[in-house]
Amino acid sequence: MTFLRSVAKEALDHMVSVTKYLCCLHIANTYACTLTLVSGPSMLPTLNLTGDLLLVERVSHKMGKVRPGDVVLVKSPVEPRKNLAKRVIALEGDKVTSFVDPLTSDQSKIIVVPRGHVWIQGDNLYASRDSRHYGPVPYGLIQGKVFCRLWPLDSFGSLDK
Amino acid sequence: MGGTRAFLRDIAKKYFAVGIVGVTVSDRYASVVSVRGSSMSPTFNPGTNANDYVLVEKFCLQNYRLSHGDVVIFCSPINHKENHIKRIVALPGDWMGNDALDDLLYVPEGHCWVEGDNSASSLDSRSFGPIPMGLISGRVTHIIWPPHRIGRVGRPDNHRELRLP
Repeated sequence: MTFLRSVAKEALDHMVSVTKYLCCLHIANTYACTLTLVSGPSMLPTLNLTGDLLLVERVSHKMGKVRPGDVVLVKSPVEPRKNLAKRVIALEGDKVTSFVDPLTSDQSKIIVVPRGHVWIQGDNLYASRDSRHYGPVPYGLIQGKVFCRLWPLDSFGSLDK
Repeated sequence: MGGTRAFLRDIAKKYFAVGIVGVTVSDRYASVVSVRGSSMSPTFNPGTNANDYVLVEKFCLQNYRLSHGDVVIFCSPINHKENHIKRIVALPGDWMGNDALDDLLYVPEGHCWVEGDNSASSLDSRSFGPIPMGLISGRVTHIIWPPHRIGRVGRPDNHRELRLP
């Protein structure tokens, strides 16, 4: 009887430590920085087609410190379960010259980014669905700023501008 | 002296553990939020005295399975530092009837149309358009304070969304 009780107590202690560890992990992941694997052609040549492991920091976007030129992780406005890596081109109040369709025509229009929104674009303009298609996205969709690339190792370090 | 310090450290460790578990549960599963303003009157804050406290669940965010009439909390598309509580009136793919302009508005994929129950004093999709569902941070299920209004949060009486066959 006492043997079972001590085994149960030890199992409970272990479960409590694991829970505390997972909660610390959640807090670090949500409020400090997170790792994310991104793939796809829309950010070539900055990010690879087959996959890059990126370190994303979760502090500066909450303080409003996102600047044009930053590569950010943003929730897709079209599919909320997906996160995208795109570059911020303009902040609220800025003017953006947007081509209607770079492949077929030279027509362009000037758009003013509304309050609380940002204009995002993939570096590979020919294979990216971004603000040129769905318009400026609310700042609140930004999940974090890409800080550096961890994998592949031959391009370890901060992303080029 | 050594005994008190060990005792205090023990209490501090317990508070820290409760704190981090509480933050994690509140971020991922359910939390309690106070409602400010009268844009959802009479569902929330029908009078001018105290603010209602509501229970917000986050399980709906796994697959974004929300329905018409759900009351949600979302990050304002105009100011990312503010959160609002409004009711979902139309989901992606719906056509909204707009009485003022006598025409129809299409709610794009991944977006929803939110309105406050108190149309007279509510800043909602009628001003800032449909919002991406990625801004939603939870669904309100129950009022938990004040005690005489504890209960589930249900649907309003009028359904104003129009769906074409």
